[in-house]
Amino acid sequence: MMTKQSLLQTIKKFTLVLMIALVSLGGATGCKSKKKLAQEQAAAEYASKVESAKKDLNSILDGTTSWSLAEKEQRFQTIKSWNLEDTDVQALLDKVEDKLARERADAERKTEEERLRKEEEARLKSETSKYDGIENYFKAIAASPDQATANEKIAGAKQLFATPDVPVLIIISQAGGFNDYDRPTTISKYLDYLKDQKVYNNRVQQVKYDTNNRITELELIKK
Amino acid sequence: MRKISTLLAVVFSLMIGYSVQAQTDDISPERKQAIDSLALEKVRDLSKYVSIIGNKSTPWSEANRVIDRAEELFMAGAEMGVSSLVGPEVKYYNVRQYFERLMRLNYDRVEIEWFKIEYVSDLQRQPDGTYVGVITIFQKFSAYDKEGGLVYEDTTKKDITVYVKRKETQIGGRIIGFWDVLLGDIRVKETSK
Repeated sequence: MMTKQSLLQTIKKFTLVLMIALVSLGGATGCKSKKKLAQEQAAAEYASKVESAKKDLNSILDGTTSWSLAEKEQRFQTIKSWNLEDTDVQALLDKVEDKLARERADAERKTEEERLRKEEEARLKSETSKYDGIENYFKAIAASPDQATANEKIAGAKQLFATPDVPVLIIISQAGGFNDYDRPTTISKYLDYLKDQKVYNNRVQQVKYDTNNRITELELIKK
Repeated sequence: MRKISTLLAVVFSLMIGYSVQAQTDDISPERKQAIDSLALEKVRDLSKYVSIIGNKSTPWSEANRVIDRAEELFMAGAEMGVSSLVGPEVKYYNVRQYFERLMRLNYDRVEIEWFKIEYVSDLQRQPDGTYVGVITIFQKFSAYDKEGGLVYEDTTKKDITVYVKRKETQIGGRIIGFWDVLLGDIRVKETSK
């Protein structure tokens, strides 16, 4: 017969084994659920990235985003770096890449056009200021309040020209590399024309001088 | 060798001929617009000249100079129609004669104003390459006596035939192609108070 003391010993041992078994079982179950949670979290994160990528790429394609070209390009690179294996995202990336390339080319073309326009403006400005002396006479004659003033200005303007018969050509249009002119006139007649019509709506385009720095040919262009 | 040179010369001439022809035959809308505007501008210039010639305060020598300029706008032999509220008859004068009569009108002050200057028939290319169109104008004529009282006034609608032809001239050793605008007859269409 088992004594009371040995029975207690046996119960203690059994309890210890049971506790060890319980602890071992409980630990294994907790580890397994943590892994699952991490997997679920990763999947959700991936799905969110796919969703976000699709949304942004579609916005870029539709032109509904207010991002600048640089911002769009940056967003495109970020999405591309995610290496998402979603076929829809891959297709959208291809389309957006093409679209951004076109937009970049367009922006570069516009920048170049703007640069050329500014260059032309600067050139015209310098050309105009180069002929300020003649232009000012023409404007003053056209704006003269009376005949005496106009005649005085005409006399001054004539000093700039080699003879009163210096030819004056007026370009009415420029196309295909050649100019269309109005009937050629002389500086004497042109100055009188300004006095009579009281309008100067041309601009000096080209001037030829003789060795005495007097004008021998004047080309104007309609504004 | 001579045959090749001849052939090249023919091809070159044809190319030059085509280029010159292309400059006048197939004019772009922009060039056509420039020509349209040029013709309208000539009529506006004439309007100003008429006003200066008719103005009694214009010195005689100045009026004669302006008559010369105004006459240069017209084709040789062009006529100007003159009407009056007094009778239905329309008299036609050679433009020089018209300007000289205008300068000598027996009033103390004359005001002539042209307005509503516009195309009534667009410039159309004719078989000989000339562009022909008709521009209509309204002329308000007002005459005053010594006391400044209005003694006569009418408004006349007139049609001006316009001829535009491509011509060439040599200036400073280069050939200049230009559009020569010439005004033809000015016909009276209607006269009212």
